[in-house]
Amino acid sequence: MSPAPRGRRSSLTLVASSAGAAHVGADERKTNRARDWSGLMARAQDGDRHAYRALLEDMTPYLRALAARCFKEPSDAEDAVQDVLLTVHAVRHTYDPGRPFGPWLVAIANRRIIDRLRRQIRARSREIELSSEHETFSPDAANLHFDDASADSAALQAAIATLAPDQRLAINLLKLKEMSLKEAALASGRSVSALKVATHRAIKSLRKRLRQSSETP
Amino acid sequence: MTGTRELIDALVECATPVRRLRPPLVRAALWLAFAGLVIALIAVGHGVRTDLTLRLREPAFAITTAAALATGILSAIAAFVVSLPDRSRRWLMLPMPTLAVWISTIGYGCFTDWVSLGPEGVRFGDELRCLSILVLTSVPLVIALAVMLRYAAMLRAGAVATTGGLAIAAITASALPLFHNHDATAMILVWNVGAALLITGIASVFGRRIFGLLATRLLAPGAHL
Repeated sequence: MSPAPRGRRSSLTLVASSAGAAHVGADERKTNRARDWSGLMARAQDGDRHAYRALLEDMTPYLRALAARCFKEPSDAEDAVQDVLLTVHAVRHTYDPGRPFGPWLVAIANRRIIDRLRRQIRARSREIELSSEHETFSPDAANLHFDDASADSAALQAAIATLAPDQRLAINLLKLKEMSLKEAALASGRSVSALKVATHRAIKSLRKRLRQSSETP
Repeated sequence: MTGTRELIDALVECATPVRRLRPPLVRAALWLAFAGLVIALIAVGHGVRTDLTLRLREPAFAITTAAALATGILSAIAAFVVSLPDRSRRWLMLPMPTLAVWISTIGYGCFTDWVSLGPEGVRFGDELRCLSILVLTSVPLVIALAVMLRYAAMLRAGAVATTGGLAIAAITASALPLFHNHDATAMILVWNVGAALLITGIASVFGRRIFGLLATRLLAPGAHL
């Protein structure tokens, strides 16, 4: 069964250790825990389910602390912890009880956390998160009122009708039919600069008229 | 997603006893013994070239073959050691010195003693036989190594696949001159460097996928080589 630890690095490096004499006790506790975990894993490899449960439950808070350093969202950190637990389960036969448990666990945890971070970065580069503005609901009250839109459109049409003929033509071609300046120049027989001037003046007078009509009740 | 507590319950539920892996050096030795067996079987079936003892006395030939063989052995050891999660990645450097000797011996031969393709040129039938030996040697080695290191899919798939690919390539390249005579430098380059690059390249590109496929199908508890 499990041979005695060979005295290599036996302390866990999951949580950064602080310097100072006050932490000697904490380091010792960590070392003892690593030895416990090593023994528990050796028993788990032999099929002892109680030891396996104790090991998994005992190391989960440490994995959570490690994952919390890398993920902002607690749910992401928890998913990473579960990834690590699944991998530990799948490769538990690779652990040699004669070696310290800490480096074995930390190496697996780092691997899984890095994989999940990479997946997140890849997903973010090609996905857009939906904000509340993108949400839509089936009830009418949650959507734009059709009558309002049609009233705005009617007011705009009325304002365009009052424009001078060359300005009306420029707005019609460039804004309503969405032609380019070149296409509009070809279609109307006017120069590009004349169309630009007409559009500028048309927008100015439309803005003025629409403001007037919204101010009058 | 399932809660962590439920996941632990499920994992404990299916925690059957597992057989611990043997030490990596022992497993590498097993794989190398298998490689030796494959080459021996091919030697029996195909026959070793007649002038082998004569050629082995030539320093350049002997050094190239020995360096390729050493690269294969050291790469195999590195692949088995690095496949374990808690071992240092520095083991990946283990085959580098012999790899440098192998490549530089071939390169030195190109500069000092370039033998052009003879009047017969490339004999298609011979080259086809050489290719068949390459495939016969490398395919069983690839399968054996992938099965033995399948757990690496979840740990260091890329590094293990590349080092394992180098091991197979070097062993194959050291076996080829035992069966086939390549005097033209161009052909030595093709069969040594070309084969090594091809096998290592395929291993590093497809290794992750092959390991992943094997890991899901064969990573059954208690069935470890």
